[in-house]
Amino acid sequence: MSILTYIAGWPLLAALALVVVPRNYRVIIRAIAVLATLISAVLAVKMFAQFVPGANGFQFEQQIPWVESLGISYHVGVDGLNVGLILMGAIVAFAAALCSWEIQTREKEFYILLLLMTGGILGAFASLDLFFFYFLHELALVPTFIMIGVWGRGEKKNYATFQITLYLSIGALIALIGLIALYLQSGANTFDIPKIIEHAKTNPLSLNAQNFIFPLLLFGFGILVSLWPFHSWAPLGYGVAPSPTAMLHAGVLKKFGLYGLIRIALPLLPQATQSWAHVIAWLCVGNILYVGWVAMRQKDLNLLIGNSSVAHMGFIFLGIASLNLIGVTGAVLIMVAHGFLAALTFALSGYIYKQTGTLQISELGGLCRKLPFIGTALLMAAMAGCGLPGFANFVGEATVFFGSWKAFPTVTVIALWGALVIGGIYMTRAIRNILHGPLPEKWNSLVDASNVWRKLPYALLIVSLLVFGFIPKLLTEKINPDAQKIVALATGNLVSATAPGASPLNFVAQNK
Amino acid sequence: MKYENLPWLILFLPLLSVAVITLFTLRSKTVSSLISIGAVVTGFVMTLLFINANGFQFSGETSANWLSIGGLQIDFGLKLDALSMMMLLVVTGVGGAIHIYSFGYMHDDESMARFFAFLSLFTFSMLGIVLANNFLMMFIFWELVGVSSYLLIGFWFEKPSAGDAAKKAFVTNRLGDFGFLFGILMVWGLLGSLSFSALQTTLAANPALLGASATLAGLLIFCGAMGKSAQFPLHVWLPDAMEGPTPVSALIHAATMVAAGVYMLCRTLFLFNSESLHLISYIGGFTALLAALMAVQQNDIKRIIAYSTLSQLGYMVMTVGLNGPTPAMFHLTTHAFFKALLFLSAGSVIVGMHHEQDIWQMGNLRKKMPITFLTFTIGTLALCGVPPFSGFYSKDAILTQALAQKSYLLFGVGVFVAALTTFYTFRLFFIVFFGKEKSKAASHAHESPLVMTLPLIALAVFSFAGGFIGITNNYGSQFVNHHEALSMAQQFTEPFNNLFPMACGLGAVAVGLFLAYSLYNNAAADPLPTKLGGLATLMKNKFYFDEFYEATFIRAHDFLAAVADWLDRWILEGAIIGAIRGGTDLSGRALRLAQTGNLQTYAFLFVLGVALLLYFVLGK
Repeated sequence: MSILTYIAGWPLLAALALVVVPRNYRVIIRAIAVLATLISAVLAVKMFAQFVPGANGFQFEQQIPWVESLGISYHVGVDGLNVGLILMGAIVAFAAALCSWEIQTREKEFYILLLLMTGGILGAFASLDLFFFYFLHELALVPTFIMIGVWGRGEKKNYATFQITLYLSIGALIALIGLIALYLQSGANTFDIPKIIEHAKTNPLSLNAQNFIFPLLLFGFGILVSLWPFHSWAPLGYGVAPSPTAMLHAGVLKKFGLYGLIRIALPLLPQATQSWAHVIAWLCVGNILYVGWVAMRQKDLNLLIGNSSVAHMGFIFLGIASLNLIGVTGAVLIMVAHGFLAALTFALSGYIYKQTGTLQISELGGLCRKLPFIGTALLMAAMAGCGLPGFANFVGEATVFFGSWKAFPTVTVIALWGALVIGGIYMTRAIRNILHGPLPEKWNSLVDASNVWRKLPYALLIVSLLVFGFIPKLLTEKINPDAQKIVALATGNLVSATAPGASPLNFVAQNK
Repeated sequence: MKYENLPWLILFLPLLSVAVITLFTLRSKTVSSLISIGAVVTGFVMTLLFINANGFQFSGETSANWLSIGGLQIDFGLKLDALSMMMLLVVTGVGGAIHIYSFGYMHDDESMARFFAFLSLFTFSMLGIVLANNFLMMFIFWELVGVSSYLLIGFWFEKPSAGDAAKKAFVTNRLGDFGFLFGILMVWGLLGSLSFSALQTTLAANPALLGASATLAGLLIFCGAMGKSAQFPLHVWLPDAMEGPTPVSALIHAATMVAAGVYMLCRTLFLFNSESLHLISYIGGFTALLAALMAVQQNDIKRIIAYSTLSQLGYMVMTVGLNGPTPAMFHLTTHAFFKALLFLSAGSVIVGMHHEQDIWQMGNLRKKMPITFLTFTIGTLALCGVPPFSGFYSKDAILTQALAQKSYLLFGVGVFVAALTTFYTFRLFFIVFFGKEKSKAASHAHESPLVMTLPLIALAVFSFAGGFIGITNNYGSQFVNHHEALSMAQQFTEPFNNLFPMACGLGAVAVGLFLAYSLYNNAAADPLPTKLGGLATLMKNKFYFDEFYEATFIRAHDFLAAVADWLDRWILEGAIIGAIRGGTDLSGRALRLAQTGNLQTYAFLFVLGVALLLYFVLGK
């Protein structure tokens, strides 16, 4: 059995086990959930450590045929593109389970759904079979709607649940149509992604088919990732979602669409990808600039970080659109970094909400005095969010900028403005209004996260951001070789994809 | 390179101190501050060891690969040459003195441990800028000093003004950084490398490689300096930054960080063509003039010194623009000594005055605070450029450079600013230390403890002697080919080689001093507003730059934000959700028409269906 099966399997197994635990055994229910996610996180760390960068093909692979007539099999494996995502997902899931102490009604159902989400999304990232890839994502997606609907907060709960369900179901549906069309058009008669890619090398999809399928995948996956202008579900949904759900969805689940684009659309639909690249690049401007402005305007902390999270998706799309090694590597880097960051911010806002009962920024202020730990963590999260070096997000964003500079200089400059200036404005405003300034008298009774268990999820996420921010090589040396393959397929350039400026570098070397 | 590991230790010790303080010793003020002080003082000693072993003529790099993605090769590398070694001395030396002083200054603050953690974070970041051997690493530390400055300005975050000042400093710096990173991308795109030495080699081999973008790239890189070194039009954040504790103003907003822009320009001088340098020199000159004018009508002791910092930074940038990295770095170094000295002395005054900063509440402090008075006097004389204090030599080098480049306008600006500087500095001097006590606090003022006065004395020694202890020799070996080292006596008499600029400089000092003496000796109130009228109001209100930016940049972004938010709420969300919901609703209604509950309708539809089926099956 592959370690990947265990990573995704433990949470699912625990979900099953929880069904038979009586609902008033609260401590046991919580312990099982925390333990299962902890095991899967530890296994994910082990898997990440054992991963050999640049090894040929997939690692920790396992394949069990299921419906042979259709070519469906249970096939899991990792390469550089998903190894970091699975690590991030497992760590975030553990943090989310730890943060779930804020849920105090119907805990049993909540933890079951949380574990289903965890197992589903980790499985989807590990899957190399289109069927399981999609099915496991749906398994993770549907609990989101229920969790927001049942455990959500605030007056807009019902509308938000309605909107997020509608949007994400439609997005998933469009992507499904695209995937089915891809299955039919590829002619490989298999759901196995590596086999389809291998098949397409000799029998590429016709241009017509590509031009039909690519928009379906782009917009289907795009809706799932809150690509502008299909983003409005995200801030609203995260605004009312219980924080563990927001952590898992914004952090992990949302990356599914991006991962799908890189894993499936880029290598299989190269010509369509190239002709759509500039459209994607300009849609990014919507995410980065427009949603950045929207974020500046928000009066609710969760809406602010929700919008900021949508804006970050723009950098990832920009990296993908640049279609070169640097850009795609950067995109994967941000996917991992943003997962930790989004989880961290939603966990922190959840803590503040639990303490104060409000996230209206005007109601808050001076919280650093009463909540030094949470305040410091929020400060760090805000700084990571506006691209401060030292955190993993900076490495990803900078890499994307280098990647997209040659392909889309104008968009890159706009993105720079969005990252450095607009991000800086709304993040420092939020800090000024939430953490700095005098403390309103009504918040004198707030309590900081004091014991180790309460601090652990935040610390874990911050440490993850710092580790990859200080030593990005841990990720890039793994991503690099496989991103190279994807880029080579997407640009039809089977020789190594050269980066801009490579030649003058050689020139320097020769002159030495 | 001998002791190759030393620079790495010098760099990372302060970071270690941050980690240890935040993780373990936050509860103990004394232990935390000793760790932080230990880190920087050890750094100073190791710098001395390293320089002693390798000499100032040494030049080398040590690096490790940090990120490698195709054509994007980024090293984490340290560049050691005369420029960076001198800066190492300044940062760890002046920084060390300020760390020790802070031990006394912050002693009663309950968050002293946090203060020292931030201070160490700053030291780490600043050393990173100094040692960086490539653009991206410099940018990384550039951002990190920005955030340390943000944290330290907002150290007393409960004060709304401190929170606002921190935010303003951060955002203004980010505007500059936007241009900086833009320029870095452009240079990388054209030259294919980020490493300073590789870029220099490439450009030396083929100077036309930057092509038509050369001027633009240079100016974009300069944007970074414009933000950090607070040059016009991004100068507005520095005076507000005085909300931070005084040692912070001395360390970050006078001696080191704000000088980083000048340092960066000198480090990357090979990139700039004559057009961009020309513009840079005028921006520097204009900033020097503008800030000196603003300083004339300020009443807060720290703000006056802050404006003088702005003005002196303008001098340095102007000199870099005049192709004079040696005099610019010379002035940077002496300025670090005497400006840190002035700020720390001001801090001593503020503590003695029980945190009163309005100079019109002080007076006659020379009797109550003799040591502070002495050190402040030395700082003042150095700043004004009175021989043989250090400022005299570096300012003279600047004026000489302006004349040598035949830039007579900037020479004139330089002389005029020198007069203004003397005027406003002695205005402060007379009001604070002479005349009558203008408040009760002034009559009860007391001298500061030894831990604060000792660093003052050390800095005073260098402010006095900095002009002739070989600083120019060291920088000169970096920037001038076949540089000949001068003996101390030669350095001492160096200004006499060019009598005209020296005479102009001394004349300016005399004029400024005379005016300040006649207006402010024994003055109880400021006579200038009545004499200057509207101009004084303009100066006092800093020429309304804050109001102007508030009305343009901030407003514009807020307006766009409001528009985007409105669109988002009503058009995108409303329309898309509306369309989907409406569509579903409509199809539901349409289908409902078929579900009439009427048996005859169903029978009819059934027959119709059968008929259609039969037609398709049989009709073909």
